[in-house]
Amino acid sequence: MKPVEVIGIDVSYGAKKVLEAISLYAKKGEILGIIGPNGAGKTTLIKAMSRIVAPENGEIYLNARSLDSFSFQEMAQQVAVVPQGISISFDYTVRDIVMMGRHPYIGKLSSATSRDLEICDRAMRLANIAHLAGSSVNKISGGERQRALIARALAQEPKILLLDEATSNLDISHRIEILNIIRGLTGEVTVISVFHDLNLAAYYCDRLIMLKEKKIFAVGEPGDVLTRETINTVYGIDALVRAHPLTGRPYILPVYEPIMEHQSERTVHVVCGGGTGSDLLYALHREGFRVSTGVLNVFDTDYATATALGIPCVTEAPFAAISPGARDSLGRCIDAASAIVVTAMPIGQGNIENVRILKDYRDKPIILLCGGANRSFQDCTGGEAEAIIHELLDRGAITAGRIEEVLRILHGAV
Amino acid sequence: MRRTAPIAILALTCTLLISMACAVVLGPVSLGSLVTLPSAGMIIWDVRVPRVITAALVGCALAVAGTAMQGLFRNSMADPYIIGTSSGGALGATLAIVLFAGAGLPVFAFAGAAIATFAVYIIARQGGRIPVETLLLSGVALSMLLSAFLSFLMYTSGRSLHQIMFWLMGGFWNVSWGDVRIAILIPVGCLAVYLYARDINIISLGDEDAIHLGVNVERLKQILLFASAFLTGIAVSIAGAIGFIGLITPHVMRLIVGPDHRVLLPAAALAGGILLLWSDTLTRTFAGDMPVGIITACFGAPFFIYLLRSRMKA
Repeated sequence: MKPVEVIGIDVSYGAKKVLEAISLYAKKGEILGIIGPNGAGKTTLIKAMSRIVAPENGEIYLNARSLDSFSFQEMAQQVAVVPQGISISFDYTVRDIVMMGRHPYIGKLSSATSRDLEICDRAMRLANIAHLAGSSVNKISGGERQRALIARALAQEPKILLLDEATSNLDISHRIEILNIIRGLTGEVTVISVFHDLNLAAYYCDRLIMLKEKKIFAVGEPGDVLTRETINTVYGIDALVRAHPLTGRPYILPVYEPIMEHQSERTVHVVCGGGTGSDLLYALHREGFRVSTGVLNVFDTDYATATALGIPCVTEAPFAAISPGARDSLGRCIDAASAIVVTAMPIGQGNIENVRILKDYRDKPIILLCGGANRSFQDCTGGEAEAIIHELLDRGAITAGRIEEVLRILHGAV
Repeated sequence: MRRTAPIAILALTCTLLISMACAVVLGPVSLGSLVTLPSAGMIIWDVRVPRVITAALVGCALAVAGTAMQGLFRNSMADPYIIGTSSGGALGATLAIVLFAGAGLPVFAFAGAAIATFAVYIIARQGGRIPVETLLLSGVALSMLLSAFLSFLMYTSGRSLHQIMFWLMGGFWNVSWGDVRIAILIPVGCLAVYLYARDINIISLGDEDAIHLGVNVERLKQILLFASAFLTGIAVSIAGAIGFIGLITPHVMRLIVGPDHRVLLPAAALAGGILLLWSDTLTRTFAGDMPVGIITACFGAPFFIYLLRSRMKA
């Protein structure tokens, strides 16, 4: 028996269709995330499940019982909703608001019992709002008010908890705090939540439903739903999808600016490492240069960047010195490049070959990205690296403090 | 519920009872001369006592109707007088006077009040919500229409004109024990509203939220509007269209006892009684029995303007 099952519903506001042929289910105790761009129908889906809007066709079942057969009171005992935030015209206290969660359990002629008060207190403690029980809801912060609404929902003792972007207006620490509270409930409570933040959705949800233009586009575990391709199709942006280093869940990194098509044959080779060249690679790529890089070991951050941008890269195994084979490939890259940029990286015995090789290229323009906002070169070779850098400078290598400067020099010189 | 709530209710109850006692004693015929008059018993029993009771009950009715409407419309500027309920009631009463020489007047007043209230409710509704501006404007628009009907009736009525004027200004001139018998319905209506006190608390958060918390919102609205129209209709049939009691009392009481309608409703009911009772005592003692509606409008309208201004600043 599924806590929530939606079968083929259509929803319209007037003549405007908002949801089309939506079918989904939630498993007991899971967190099901609903994601999708603005206007995809996420909020409407929550409204349909909480019976604020009525679907035209199709059926919604809660524990195999049709939604229409519930009275308002029964419904509120099963389903609690945490809205995005509400404006409250009158000065109710936090406790007043949380006690309203007990409304579906208290008869018309009776008043709150000590059990109701207990449940209300426990809900406030769970939502970490108990210390504000006597404060007016209009005089506390947005995060606190949202926690009060969560406490109210918990006081309803629901089987199903629906969240409509319940954390969208909060800062990151409050978002995490609230989502941790909600994840702590699962097991007994089934949670369906709308998310705007894909990274939070990826981490907190067991499964995701991705909506696109009124319809379900993808369903499944976060790793299957959140891919570079789906994000591109549904949101229309280019984004890198990585595994979060701590959780292993997908982590979305938007490529903020659209990449230009390659405009010229101008090629720049970037010698970098340890993450010192990532921003430069991105900037060059964005500006339309053909870029190559290397030699980098395959665990280097710059290598990950290069791969993500599709930049050819000469690689070497981790912790190994640059082999003659890699050195030859590097040589070919440098031959093909019309300029070389060296970023201020740590130079040790493993990668010294990257700069040593430059001594053989007397006529190539060389730019050193160091000083200014960047660090300077870090010599771990006992003087050899520094000597090479000095030699390059003596031979006319240019120093640039900022990436913009590098771009300007390249536009002029190449 | 605030801890001070029972104290506030107790204090208000005592104040009301003392006020009623004072009001019976006070009047154009002073206590000193009253003792010597042979007709003293009649003045007290047939004039002052019913007048004091009805004034208190009508104040109650208007305050409770105002409180319910403010909660329902989520808007502390709603009031039976402002949104046209009272005008509807007055028109109903006038129709009864013109067509049936006053027969069935309370029924007509109630019907008029109910029709006007539901009309404003339907006109002001925008996608399930009732914004302040449209509420006030539709109230004004409907009141204009109703006053056009009223003017027409007054123009054509001839000799019942004075009687009609009475409904427009509001007052307790001709109150008798018969009116007290009608006014007994007021506590019944107040009690009906009180049964929904918790629901009013919840609906004041918003319709969707109220549905999430298990309130049958549409039915609650109908019940509350019906009850408000019932209370206002009775009040109008007894004392005509008296304004601003339903606006001021809930407002002031909300500041004192808080917004919880389980306390606010009885507090506003008592305070409304006290307020109207003293207004009436004031007019019959010192102002030559001027219509009490003039007094309430004199302090009510500035209060309304003050509310508008402070809303604009917020």
